[in-house]
Amino acid sequence: MQRPSFFARALASGLCALALSSTLHAQELTVSAAASLTNAFQAIGQAYEKAHPGSRITFNFAASGPLLAQIQQGAPVDVFASADQETMNRAATARLLTDGTRADFAQNTLVVVVPSSATKTPQALQGLAGADFKRIATGTPATVPVGRYTMEAVQKAGLTDALHPRWIFGESVRQVLNYVARGEVDAGFVYRTDALIERDKTRIAFTVPTDNPVRYPIAQVASSKNADGARQFITFVRSAQGQDILGRYGFSKP
Amino acid sequence: MLPPLWLTLKVALLATLLAGVAGIGLGWWMARRRFPGHALADAFLMLPMVLPPTVLGYYLIVVVGRNGVLGRYLDQWFGIHLMFTWQGAVIAASIVSLPLIYKAARAAFEDADPRMVLAARTLGASELEIFLRISLPLAGRGVVAGLMLAFARAMGEFGATLMIAGNLPGKTQTLSIAVYDAVQAGNDAQALWLTLLISVVCMCVLMASSRLLQAQH
Amino acid sequence: MAHPVLDIDLRATLRSPGRTFTLDTRFQSSHTCTALMGPSGAGKSTMLLAIAGLLPQAQGHVRVHGATLLDTSASVNRPTRERGVGMVFQDYALFPHMNVEQNLLFGVRRMGRPLVETERMRVDALLEQFDLQALRNALPRDLSGGQKQRVALARALAPAPRLLLLDEPLSALDGTLRQRLRAELAEMLARVQVPTLIVTHEPRDAELLAQQVVHMEDGRLQSPKARLAQDGLAGR
Repeated sequence: MQRPSFFARALASGLCALALSSTLHAQELTVSAAASLTNAFQAIGQAYEKAHPGSRITFNFAASGPLLAQIQQGAPVDVFASADQETMNRAATARLLTDGTRADFAQNTLVVVVPSSATKTPQALQGLAGADFKRIATGTPATVPVGRYTMEAVQKAGLTDALHPRWIFGESVRQVLNYVARGEVDAGFVYRTDALIERDKTRIAFTVPTDNPVRYPIAQVASSKNADGARQFITFVRSAQGQDILGRYGFSKP
Repeated sequence: MLPPLWLTLKVALLATLLAGVAGIGLGWWMARRRFPGHALADAFLMLPMVLPPTVLGYYLIVVVGRNGVLGRYLDQWFGIHLMFTWQGAVIAASIVSLPLIYKAARAAFEDADPRMVLAARTLGASELEIFLRISLPLAGRGVVAGLMLAFARAMGEFGATLMIAGNLPGKTQTLSIAVYDAVQAGNDAQALWLTLLISVVCMCVLMASSRLLQAQH
Repeated sequence: MAHPVLDIDLRATLRSPGRTFTLDTRFQSSHTCTALMGPSGAGKSTMLLAIAGLLPQAQGHVRVHGATLLDTSASVNRPTRERGVGMVFQDYALFPHMNVEQNLLFGVRRMGRPLVETERMRVDALLEQFDLQALRNALPRDLSGGQKQRVALARALAPAPRLLLLDEPLSALDGTLRQRLRAELAEMLARVQVPTLIVTHEPRDAELLAQQVVHMEDGRLQSPKARLAQDGLAGR
């Protein structure tokens, strides 16, 4: 008989589509990551999608502070990777993370870069207090980790007052890098991994020693609709393959 | 909370002044003369109203950035850097406000009775006197409305301003950028207060302007 | 040899989309007031604009009592503000944002200089002459048609022009009001005795206000009436 068979087939395809879509849905991931992870995580994303066929990762790169604000306001994020412990601590205090999923996965170094056209290269933090450095860029301390690391280091060197009028604050470490690359500022604080991205237009002046190592944590967001996928991604980042990719971009092991 | 307010008022007033002079002059010029390329010039003057603020911001960077088309000469000859300064914010705000004043002024001048100008000429007045004493006052209402709109637009300018002037508290952090900053930092209380402050200021501007327009009659 | 009051020779070509208008006129007058008559579209107002110097394309010459305002063959083309031509428009074109006194002052004093005593006396004299003292501070929108006409005329005469041009001054009116204002206008013109060219399409206006009539049609003077203008030269 035609009709029942037609109905049965329609129902079957409908159910199949539903099942397929929910499987696909289960394979979609949204990852919010600090701006300094942009290039490395894009590469990791490609490798992950190859290793897990059918999966699709959407990245959201910005400074760690604004990313946290978005998650707090209910953005549908599955995984959060920040550039410092403090932002992740705030996330934990606000009960935004799934217990037991937080782990450190990479380490970075704070450096000072100058435009490649610059004539004067500072050798240490004290050098920045000279007359040649009227505009120095870093991230907005309240929301951008690189700004916080910078202020800690500057305070330790006793240069807070000397450098206070020279700051130009960027919305993210990548914007700081951009300001230096364009020559709009005389020097800027970025991570070593960022300096490597703009090798032509900037050069590293010196490394800034930090009391707190620049260690990156990653965690699953509690409101994630794809707990399995989130866990899998975090595992991948910490795996040999993930660490290898991070290493290629200049990150060191946590 | 107050420093962004004073800064915003300062930037908006200066931007309205700059855009006002340019917009009224251009509106008058374009209203009385027809020349080849008139339509093209008109479209060009209206462009900042239609372009996304970030596009404008980028154009500004290309022009007045330290390595920019004009910026490099400003830097080399005068030591002037417009990026990260409130003066740069004024320029960004004037450019986005210009089309509003230009459009209003041109319409007002075009609406005016041309015989007024003819009569004034026969009575011996120079072109400048005609503009200042006849054309401009007669276009007054329309021009003032345009200026008010321009002021409000300058106060709310965000995208291009952020790109050119950056977000430097006390130096270039205008009210709208301060709201953005507070939201980014998760500081909702601050964001709310700032938003209320802006709303109150805008209401006052609108009420004052409608009172002004009524008084003219 | 006395100069004629008016010696006009004007040619101009005006182009607008779909239409070309050619002005080609020549006439002289020895009378104080000449009427320029013709159907609408004849070019009468265009003539006035050309005489006032408000028509850049005009060629030929314009002489008032021998004074040359325009002579393209001798490269003389005085700008409007130097021609000493007073003009009264159909709708009077009074400056709406200025009161009566300020409108008159506009013809007497230039901006940027303080008011001189002689100038103040001149405005006072005008206000008296045209019976406008009581309306000194009134705004044009508060004036009646007749009052506006007086102000417009007073303003045009304020800079002591050598020629007065009236463009259909009574067209907006009809009936008894028109008659009354026509009589007022005739009386005022007779008093001031300034060479006048008045444009109208009403024969009664021409009869009462002017001593000579010139007819125009399609940008040209009509031949039989042009002969009349010749008669005018011989004096009537």
